Amino acid sequence: MSRIFSSPIAGALSAMILVAIIVAATTNRFLDQGNLSNLALQVSIVSIVAIGSTLVILTGGIDLSPGSAIALMTMVFATLAKTLGWPLFAAVIAVLVLGILLGLINGVLAAYLRIPSFITTLATLSAFRGVAFMFNNGSPIFSVSPNIEVLFYGTVAGIPLPLFYVVALYALAFWFLRYTALGRQIYAVGGNANAARLSGIDVRLTQLLAFAIAGLAAGVGAVLMTARLNSGSPNYGVGLELSAIAAAVIGGASLAGGRGHVINTVIGAMTIVIVQNALNLNAVPTSAQNVTIGAIIVLAVGIDMWRNEIGAALQNLFGTKPQT
Amino acid sequence: MRQGVPVWEAVGLIKRFAGVTAVDGISLRLYAGEIHGLIGANGSGKSTLIKMLCGVYQPDGGSILRQGSPIVLPNPSNARAAGVATVFQEFSLVPSLTVAENIYLGRLPRNRGQVDWKALREAAAKVLAEIDARIDVGAVVGKLSVAEQQIVEIAKALAAAASIIILDEPTTALGIGEIARLHDLLRRLRAQGRAILYISHRLDEVVDLVDCATILKDGSVASTAENSEVSVPFMVRTMVGDVGEHYPKERNATDEVLLRVSEVTTRNRVFDVSFEVCRGEVFGIGGVLGSGRTELARALFGVDPILAGTIEFKGASVRFSSAKQAIRAGIALVPENRKADGLFFNFAGFPNISSAALGRLGSHGLISPTREREAGRKLVRALEITPAAETKEVGYLSGGNQQKIVVARWLFADADLFILDEPTQGIDIGARVAVYRLINGLTASGKGVILISSDDEELLSMSDRVGVMSHGRMVGIHRPSELDATALVRASTGASLGTPA
Repeated sequence: MSRIFSSPIAGALSAMILVAIIVAATTNRFLDQGNLSNLALQVSIVSIVAIGSTLVILTGGIDLSPGSAIALMTMVFATLAKTLGWPLFAAVIAVLVLGILLGLINGVLAAYLRIPSFITTLATLSAFRGVAFMFNNGSPIFSVSPNIEVLFYGTVAGIPLPLFYVVALYALAFWFLRYTALGRQIYAVGGNANAARLSGIDVRLTQLLAFAIAGLAAGVGAVLMTARLNSGSPNYGVGLELSAIAAAVIGGASLAGGRGHVINTVIGAMTIVIVQNALNLNAVPTSAQNVTIGAIIVLAVGIDMWRNEIGAALQNLFGTKPQT
Repeated sequence: MRQGVPVWEAVGLIKRFAGVTAVDGISLRLYAGEIHGLIGANGSGKSTLIKMLCGVYQPDGGSILRQGSPIVLPNPSNARAAGVATVFQEFSLVPSLTVAENIYLGRLPRNRGQVDWKALREAAAKVLAEIDARIDVGAVVGKLSVAEQQIVEIAKALAAAASIIILDEPTTALGIGEIARLHDLLRRLRAQGRAILYISHRLDEVVDLVDCATILKDGSVASTAENSEVSVPFMVRTMVGDVGEHYPKERNATDEVLLRVSEVTTRNRVFDVSFEVCRGEVFGIGGVLGSGRTELARALFGVDPILAGTIEFKGASVRFSSAKQAIRAGIALVPENRKADGLFFNFAGFPNISSAALGRLGSHGLISPTREREAGRKLVRALEITPAAETKEVGYLSGGNQQKIVVARWLFADADLFILDEPTQGIDIGARVAVYRLINGLTASGKGVILISSDDEELLSMSDRVGVMSHGRMVGIHRPSELDATALVRASTGASLGTPA
């Protein structure tokens, strides 16, 4: 019992499985093939954006801008692909590069000009969406391209494509954090920036690159968002940054930096989406859904904070000797 | 003196954490008008014991008596009200408030619902006068020196009419003169009939100050106050058993100059400093806190910019503009503040060891966990670090193991010059000797060591030559045999008289 509470990935995973079992038992259509595919589609964009949020959180920062950045990028994507008639491939590359640039703006402000990342990204949260409204007189651009939807709705062997993106990108993120020096530096900077500097780690560059990667993740999110809705709109992505941060936090990432596992972030994102889906299937109104999500965040973080006490209480309850 | 009813008494206190018994039946009698030393190695249960006395932890067994009757201290404010005052390493002062407000925090004198500022200032001034402290009651606490803040903390205890004052490692951040003043103050408080419990790793201080000492080992009392002899050899023997030579100095100095510092001046308190360090040599740097020792270390390590002068390292002229460059050249810094500047508390031992040389874990920006584990295990064995370092985050390790991990980091980075800033601060005697052996190991393999220390005996015993700093200048370089502790103090303070501020 105490093992379950001490292993970080097992903890988040078992919580999610528990939620899924409860939902499956109480909700009729939850396990339908169609609903599960729908779940995968729903979770894909937020969980990809959440990779970036997790990296920034690991450095001890926060990124509030990806929702707005995505709105801006869907407008840029639609403008390039439809109004200017660029080939889709070129437009996708351009949007990804733009994502990196937006991330670099955040990074330069936060790391080099030393404006706290909360403030920096609060500012760009506002500014990026403002820029999005400058395209097409602030109106959405519909029917971007008939070929674009396959990026989101296509399947391979019956499995939706976005599921492949999520698996591939999380595998990449896991590898990056575990097997690259930069990944290690991200943890080091978030753990103790002074010690990192005195270990010869370029703290500001590390923070800058984390923001750049977060921007790239938002760029991928923007491409999928445009493909999903076959349109760009300055109103897309509202609140997406909060869902992404919630996914990371439910997954156990510490907002103080240096602690957290990226795989847990996708588990956190899935937990949120499963609950939302269950509430939808049971026709619970959106207002009550939002309250529920809030409660889940508090509960998930609380369980993490109280983990030791819970473990000790369980030991007392069952009278088992602790293993050391 | 040790008779009658003790003011405070602990009887068979027990405290367990997740199955580990940190305090296993400790008893302690504290009498009025007595300074009682509490000593023991890291992990012997000192901190846990005092946290029970000041209401932070609740004992799992045993009891606490005040004037002979049992008392329960459910929380710190309760304990304060019952007369327990604690001066921790981290102060409980509010930096943005004034001295007077801090002394009467939570109990500001009132007049018809409003704070009576005049009465507050007068009362605070009276308390400070009582202990002969010349501190302005209107000064903002955050702007005071560490020593002054400590006095404010003690004044706060007096104002609360504490019957016992517990001091946990009060001298770690103090200079020699400040320590002497603190000790004078404590002796005066003793004369006033207060009970004082004094916790310190600096045994020479303890012996100098206390009337009796309880010695802890592994969560139990190894020697009671009645039985303990107040002497360094007795205490060391009781705490750790026979450690052999206290300062196992080996002389490995060669004539080959490793570092030559010529007339270096920085923006930050280092003026016109010149000295050399040879391979295999331990060059000690003494001087009071704030004399520029730490700033000199930072300048050599590329953290503080150098305004004038030259540095030659391994025969080449160098000027580092970042720690990264200094590390690449082969310089290591074990910082004074292990917790704030040294360790990554989110990591277990191995990532802490590899952090300064991630490039050695693989090529093209990749790292190999296997290579990290192999190198980590090797160093953990070589430095006799606890094997738990492999799996446990470093926050769970003792101070001595933490310090060895920081040293291991630089061994892994293959540094040639080790700058050790207060390497034995806050670690127990057994771990100290291990650090001294490490220094011997470094010099034996031809590395140079700069040892910065406030512990004069350590400095004189472990160094081949000692440079004394005062007001940012290197005022003299001596053989340790030409100096003793008093000469060292004189050299570092006497010279300051002639130096313009």
